[in-house]
Amino acid sequence: MQWTVKGPAFIALGASAALVLAACSGGGAPSASTSAPGASSAAAPVAMTFWHNSTTGDGKKYWEDTVAAFQKEHPGVTITIQAIQNEDMDGKLQTALASSDGPTIFMARGGGKLADVVAADQVMDITDKIAPDVKTALGDGIFSAFTVDGKIYGMPSSVLPGGIYYSKDLFKQAGIDATPTTFEELSAAVTKLKAKNIAPIALGGKDAWPAAHWYYFFALRDCSQATLDKAAADKDFSDPCWLKAGEDLKAFTATEPFNKGYLTTSAQQGAGSSAGMIANHKAAMELMGAWDPGVIADLTPDKKALPDLGWFPFPAVSGGAGDPTAMMGGSDGFACAKNAPAECVDFLNFASSKANQEGYATAFKTLPANRDAKDVVTDPALKDVLASYDKAAYVELWLDTQYGQNVGNALNGGVVNMFAGKGTPADIVTAVKAAAAKG
Amino acid sequence: MSDSVTTLPQRSSRSGSGRGDAHKASPRSDRARADWRKRFEIAILSGPAIVMFLAFVIFPVFMAAYYGFFRWKGFGVPTNFIGFQNYVAIFNDPNFREALMHNGFILVMSLVMQGPAAVAFALLLNQNIRGRSLIRVLIFVPYVISEVIVGTGWGLMLQYTGAVNDMLTNMGLGAFAHDWIADPNIAIWTLMVIISWKYIGFAVILMLAGIQGIPEELYEAAAIDGASYWQIQRWITLPLLGPTIRVWAFLSIIGSLQLFDLVYIIWGQYVASTAGTSTMATYMVREGRLAGNYGFGNAVAVVIFVISLAIALTYQRLVLRRDTAGALTEAPGKKQN
Repeated sequence: MQWTVKGPAFIALGASAALVLAACSGGGAPSASTSAPGASSAAAPVAMTFWHNSTTGDGKKYWEDTVAAFQKEHPGVTITIQAIQNEDMDGKLQTALASSDGPTIFMARGGGKLADVVAADQVMDITDKIAPDVKTALGDGIFSAFTVDGKIYGMPSSVLPGGIYYSKDLFKQAGIDATPTTFEELSAAVTKLKAKNIAPIALGGKDAWPAAHWYYFFALRDCSQATLDKAAADKDFSDPCWLKAGEDLKAFTATEPFNKGYLTTSAQQGAGSSAGMIANHKAAMELMGAWDPGVIADLTPDKKALPDLGWFPFPAVSGGAGDPTAMMGGSDGFACAKNAPAECVDFLNFASSKANQEGYATAFKTLPANRDAKDVVTDPALKDVLASYDKAAYVELWLDTQYGQNVGNALNGGVVNMFAGKGTPADIVTAVKAAAAKG
Repeated sequence: MSDSVTTLPQRSSRSGSGRGDAHKASPRSDRARADWRKRFEIAILSGPAIVMFLAFVIFPVFMAAYYGFFRWKGFGVPTNFIGFQNYVAIFNDPNFREALMHNGFILVMSLVMQGPAAVAFALLLNQNIRGRSLIRVLIFVPYVISEVIVGTGWGLMLQYTGAVNDMLTNMGLGAFAHDWIADPNIAIWTLMVIISWKYIGFAVILMLAGIQGIPEELYEAAAIDGASYWQIQRWITLPLLGPTIRVWAFLSIIGSLQLFDLVYIIWGQYVASTAGTSTMATYMVREGRLAGNYGFGNAVAVVIFVISLAIALTYQRLVLRRDTAGALTEAPGKKQN
């Protein structure tokens, strides 16, 4: 009798124990696959984890090959790769770094975001650990994106300067002979394209950042380098050039150069997106970073690179204080966790070599950070970018990356509001100031 | 929850004492053992659920409240304690007040638009009409489709260059073509139409179940007394459907307060605020996650929680009380007063 009573209790005990075990193993699984960083010595086997954002295709394969080659050169080192969807990367990284079992090597985009990680003391200072030949090959300028308080925390892998991508065929069709170098010429081109019933400029306003890029580029032309850097240092946006940039953009928007319904157009998803419109010859131009040829290639009907894609720098703005050859762009890179073994930096140096950077540029259809590797760039549009990049007086980091997420978020919102006619150029500056109260 | 916890011991104690009578052991010690055993059983059976609930519901709430007092970028441990500054910033932010107004509008309009329509549909589908079960399924289908798919689909159709405007233009109604999503004058109505389309199936199913729970005898009695169809619906169906309607309204209110996915997917991260469809939840994601101000975001989460809790408790006290009072313990026959 007693057993029959106890029976259910035991079953219940077993069941709940199983539940608890299941819950524990569910939570514990990631830590089992990652190894504790910090335990390093040359002889002992070293295990590292590596997070990047190329989940498909050539990019994924490139990292697999590079890691395999590195492991061959360094017996005893194993690197576990984890490819994470780009949109999930930041959130996962944040959680993982806060726990003790974050990745050893991880993707970093520099600027204010990296500064936050540095402030939390979660990333390694690699200033003195970068191989001298790598440093020479990459050049000093490119490291500025990964420098916080004079120390370098990341190794750049690519440069992604922005400018206007355009379809040469559509330009020819509209009778535009030369790429615009000033805004007067750009407006003339817009008029000609409209006359042929071609959407002049595609804009992914739904995602907000493509719209904000227009403001950033006007600021690049209207504000001097000193003003831009001062804003990065002390978040001071009181210089009148910030207002002028908004007013210039508003004046340009008033000529209706963008595709119809651009506020509901996304940047990269599907044929109806701004990149898709370029890929399918529905629009002639798009202001974007150097990743655009790759994105457009994915959206063409045959999934191949758009043959007539060209590029020209953001046109000069009259009365602006910025250098007309100045460029703006981003830079992808990689960083080591605070307590990573020495082999982590070895890997970063290894990946920055000429041969590996050539592979990188080919796989990602982008511009390599290593200047010796740029000969593999064959895409005509990217070659144009490279030519301007070499001549640029200075290169600014994307303003949202440079000024941090908080300011970038406020700029996104302010610019979209102005595009929709809900706000004024002055409201953009006000929004940036208000953001300071939240973070 | 409380129901199962309170009835379980009663049942086992009854059987336990029965066993005690059959045995010759002293009743007291036997009862004590049965007591211990049943407590053990309760603890084991409800333990995992309680642990899960505490770990994944209660604990995060307290953590959010804690983080809300810091200026925190999400990296490492928060150190910059700023007291109530985040909360001051939230209520001083016109964007948040707008989002709150939108939530209020959605809440009221959901009740006004979906309630009567759902009752009407339920009455219709309770008739013996041809293809009734097919219509029932069709009405319920939107509710089953995931929010992401609904959002993407409507978002694509309602784009300025999307299917809806193309169709209007091709039908010669080009004058009616609008920027359905981005135009601040109509965007919130677009949202209301999509919400109604999506959630009315759920309301209809609830109402149908409620109608079918009404005893047939009442209708027969009314028919014998010579009541017309409309009189029957007005004086029998509607009053007896009351509890169902009140529960549905409660679920609808909670859903309106927490609305996030449809807006976020159709309008995107920033245009929602511009077009006037932002909600407290999209505000939280934009100012917390996208801005990287995790301390501030947590404070917004706390504000949403408190607002939702206050409304839910008020509603339960003032409206739902008559449905739940005594319903759990009294015999089923007594429920109808």
